[in-house]
Amino acid sequence: MEPAPETEILDLDNLDQAEWNEYAMAQAWGDGFPLVMPTEDLVERFVATCHGDNEPIPAMSPRRVIPTLPVMAANAVMAGCRPEYFPAVLAATRAVLTPDYNLHGSLATTHSCAPMLMFNGPVRKDLNINCASNCFGQGHQANATIGRALQLILLNIGGAKPGVMDRSTLGSPAKYAFCFGENEEESPWEPFHVRRGFAAGDSVVTAMPSEPPHNINDHGSTTGVGILTTIAGTISQPGANSIYGSAPIFIVLGPEHAQTLHRDGWTIADMQQDLFDRSAIHISRVSVENQESYANMDRVMLNDRYPMTATPEDILILVAGGPGKHSAYIPPFGFTSACSVRLSHV
Amino acid sequence: MRIVNPSFGQEAPSTEKVGANAVDWKTDPIILFSNSKPNAIELLEGVRERMGAYRATDNINHAHKDSPAQPAPEAMIDELSKEYRAALIAIAD
Repeated sequence: MEPAPETEILDLDNLDQAEWNEYAMAQAWGDGFPLVMPTEDLVERFVATCHGDNEPIPAMSPRRVIPTLPVMAANAVMAGCRPEYFPAVLAATRAVLTPDYNLHGSLATTHSCAPMLMFNGPVRKDLNINCASNCFGQGHQANATIGRALQLILLNIGGAKPGVMDRSTLGSPAKYAFCFGENEEESPWEPFHVRRGFAAGDSVVTAMPSEPPHNINDHGSTTGVGILTTIAGTISQPGANSIYGSAPIFIVLGPEHAQTLHRDGWTIADMQQDLFDRSAIHISRVSVENQESYANMDRVMLNDRYPMTATPEDILILVAGGPGKHSAYIPPFGFTSACSVRLSHV
Repeated sequence: MRIVNPSFGQEAPSTEKVGANAVDWKTDPIILFSNSKPNAIELLEGVRERMGAYRATDNINHAHKDSPAQPAPEAMIDELSKEYRAALIAIAD
């Protein structure tokens, strides 16, 4: 099939849904799932939700082109978003374009990272973003399609074609969509975005290139220190990028674990320090070749141990999910930051 | 039917395309550019040694970017492109 012309509007023969999907897949515009047709009228409805948003969008790596609002909206349409989701998609795009996010590196790497999106504030309720049971899983249109829309934007505008510019050795299921919200209502601590300096009433998206969540099962511990012992042991992984990188990691506490920790008087800062100290990896668990490599990278050891993050504050803690004795660890790409952007049009 | 092209993008001002002349691999200066992954320099040095079988290697040199996870700075690429006629690049792992 001929590649589509490089114009913003394409005039195609009338296609039914099956023919459209064949055409789109042949253009390599998709992720393997069916796509909604980005007709001009649908795209206009999406763009209208961002009326008056004139903040320029920087060039998008690795292809280095500047996206337009209609083209980003076309990807949100294809992903199956509702029009009212588009300001959230736009804010997520701005978050991954923050220089500290390292979009180019995270898209071109052989690591399996995908952009994790985590929402705080009223937008979670406005758009019905799942923050509770099965929040990393299927079943909610907002979680599925906002995450998918960003992936399609990075694929089609950014040029992160799998096997071409996206050089991930294994990839991951998170590359289809990875989007959830903090369960602020069941968190005993301040919401994540408030701890980052935003107002409680702000709607904020935080993005970080990450592996999919790793489950932390602890049904037995009945104390905060017991739960932290299990978490520290789970995140202490010699194969994690953060052992040699500079990135933060996310600990997502299930509400039941969070309540036990809070009952026992654990603050966020106390938990960060405890996990930093007890997750550090003893040198005996690291190969001699990697020890040499880390020495060449000036990676600091503390008491013959490699810390999992540069500082305790780089262990980012929040609450999500529903009933059950589970938490999760979200390991990062090695050289990145968690980048938060306030939604301007909700 | 009319659709919005989901892959359309405006070219960024810095993406100027420059024409390249043919390279004489037997004599031209070459930069061996490492992506700073473990063993990339060793791999490129092996390439340099093999090139020694059919050409002088005193104008084949090494360079590397600062981090495996960051693109090379544009200034570094500009500098190398002034000095060398070709680059062999270690990519991926």
